[in-house]
Amino acid sequence: MTEVTKTPAAGDALPVKTGKRTNPLANVFDELVRFAQSRSLFMLHYCTGCGAIELPPAMTSRFDMERLGIQPMVSPRQADILLVTGYVSVKTLKRVILTYEQMNSPKYVIGICSCTVNGGMYWQSYATAKKLNDYMPVDIYIAGCMPRPEAVIAGLRGLIEDIRRGTADTWKDYYRRYDHYLGNQQRLFGEDWQTPTDVIAEARHYGLFGPGTLGERTALLERHQKPLEALEMKLDIPELMARRSGLGSKGRTEVK
Amino acid sequence: MRPENYEAQRQPPSHEYELNIGPNHPGIEGNYAFKLRLHGDTVLEGKADAGYLHRGFEKLMEGRLWIQNLAITPRICVPDPVPMEVSYVLAVEELCGLEVPERAQWLRVLQLELSRIAAHLFTFGGHAATTGMYSTMFWGMADRDLVLDLFEELTGGRVYHIYNIPGGVRRDIPDGFLDRVKRTLDYLESRLPDYDNLLFTNQVFVQRAKGVGTMSREQALEWGVTGPNLRATGLKFDVRRDDPYLVYEDLEFEIPSEEAGDAWARTLVRRKELVESIRIARQVVAALPKIRGTIRCPIPNPLAWSVPAGSAYTRVESSKGELAWYVVSNGGERPYRTHVRGPSQMHAVQVLEKLSVGARLEDIAQTMFSLDACPPEVDR
Ligand code: SF4
Repeated sequence: MTEVTKTPAAGDALPVKTGKRTNPLANVFDELVRFAQSRSLFMLHYCTGCGAIELPPAMTSRFDMERLGIQPMVSPRQADILLVTGYVSVKTLKRVILTYEQMNSPKYVIGICSCTVNGGMYWQSYATAKKLNDYMPVDIYIAGCMPRPEAVIAGLRGLIEDIRRGTADTWKDYYRRYDHYLGNQQRLFGEDWQTPTDVIAEARHYGLFGPGTLGERTALLERHQKPLEALEMKLDIPELMARRSGLGSKGRTEVK
Repeated sequence: MRPENYEAQRQPPSHEYELNIGPNHPGIEGNYAFKLRLHGDTVLEGKADAGYLHRGFEKLMEGRLWIQNLAITPRICVPDPVPMEVSYVLAVEELCGLEVPERAQWLRVLQLELSRIAAHLFTFGGHAATTGMYSTMFWGMADRDLVLDLFEELTGGRVYHIYNIPGGVRRDIPDGFLDRVKRTLDYLESRLPDYDNLLFTNQVFVQRAKGVGTMSREQALEWGVTGPNLRATGLKFDVRRDDPYLVYEDLEFEIPSEEAGDAWARTLVRRKELVESIRIARQVVAALPKIRGTIRCPIPNPLAWSVPAGSAYTRVESSKGELAWYVVSNGGERPYRTHVRGPSQMHAVQVLEKLSVGARLEDIAQTMFSLDACPPEVDR
């Protein structure tokens, strides 16, 4: 280990520049930025459950959420909103968490449908996760089974208002209380559950290292951590050519 | 024209690779994944990866009262929920030997056909979108909403209605409802020429859809294909005609079919079915005022209702194919065992896997949408 990779001790935040803001226009500028943020939202809708069927009407001609500046986006890296539309089965929840961790902050989560609030109709099902905010912070819930497109639009308006006021910051909670969320995830998926995203390093990077970031659960993470292997393309060209000409992998002959 | 330093280079042969489509992907209907092994853009093998929507319906239903189960049955297939309700209710009625009043039976047919229209409009939109034609999706969605408005007026719910209960339906039609149904049906019919121009005779779509995902009639029968997908191979099998339930015997309608068995033929069959569904719904609208009487026969207290022991298998024709419930009762207040025979389980797993071999990558999404598979029903 060289000096370069030395990490701060647990609990330390990286030194964040906290210079005094001298520009009198700074607040005005912040306001403008928040306004712009709230009016151009890209939404990744993960069709986890049946609530997804009310999204096409909400997106297309009749209710048209594009007039609010909201557009569907297909990749998590570019999306601002993660829409979880309905019950999340355990198999789906893993993917939802991976998707959430890949999104760049600030990020917002909307839980559509009663099933994300408390399990809804499937309260006694063995296959679904009951409360979404045990596993990731949720900004807004839209209850109903299923919520009408008007309700979806109203919920999105609420989120827009929150972003404009600067109060939609639950994503910070994921960093501050990572141990709690990870614990719930491990309870469901097993102790060796890990994701490719290094949330602890990100918490340091954002200066959001809180007292709940590290704990006994994150300690387990280190115990089970397998080093991530870089996936290298292994191209054995002679063998491939040989296989192609029907000689089998053993017969490595010169191919002209 | 070659660049000066051009020299033909021997490229290594491109090799096989794997590609995951889904579970969250615009080319996949819902939460469902498909793993492909590819060579270039030719698919060598496709593997369905289901289970993202599993809720364990069959187990859940064992723990709930007969009447409580009504609330979760429509949730099995989201785009076309009415056949789910109706076939479960038919099974319970068969077990109890209930006589359903005639008016309720006609109302059920009206619902079933409206639901079929809504589901087909949804499918056209999705199928067109996989070939890059998004306008059809916008149109289909807007027109489907008109049908959903009718449902809302009749039942109180846009998508899930829970309108049928064992013994009949929950309430009668509101005043002036039939006029509004008639108006909506007229409007939908007047839109069909527009849809023809936009999609069904549009060369962009025809060229893409012809010859994609072809199956022969023998294959279709062997793989358990039903519904429009089977009729697209030329076999006119429809549960509504061949094993009539409710009042379908008294109604006049054709069973449309096509010969080719490809994505194009399947879409055409659905378009023709839309016309037939409008025709059936018109007949119901004309007949309903003449059929008077109750809409429900008396049932025992639903909260302490023991259904006689026995088993029932009831099937209906949903917009996706043959749909059936197998319900077993041991004389208790809850079902002993229930099982759904859904069409999508065959279409989205076995059939899609087989049709994808040798297909091109860009046609996979189209094949899936043209089979009109419904992932929540695959997983239950
Ligand atoms: S709340 Fe209702 S509509 Fe929404 S996912 Fe749950 S069962 Fe489906």
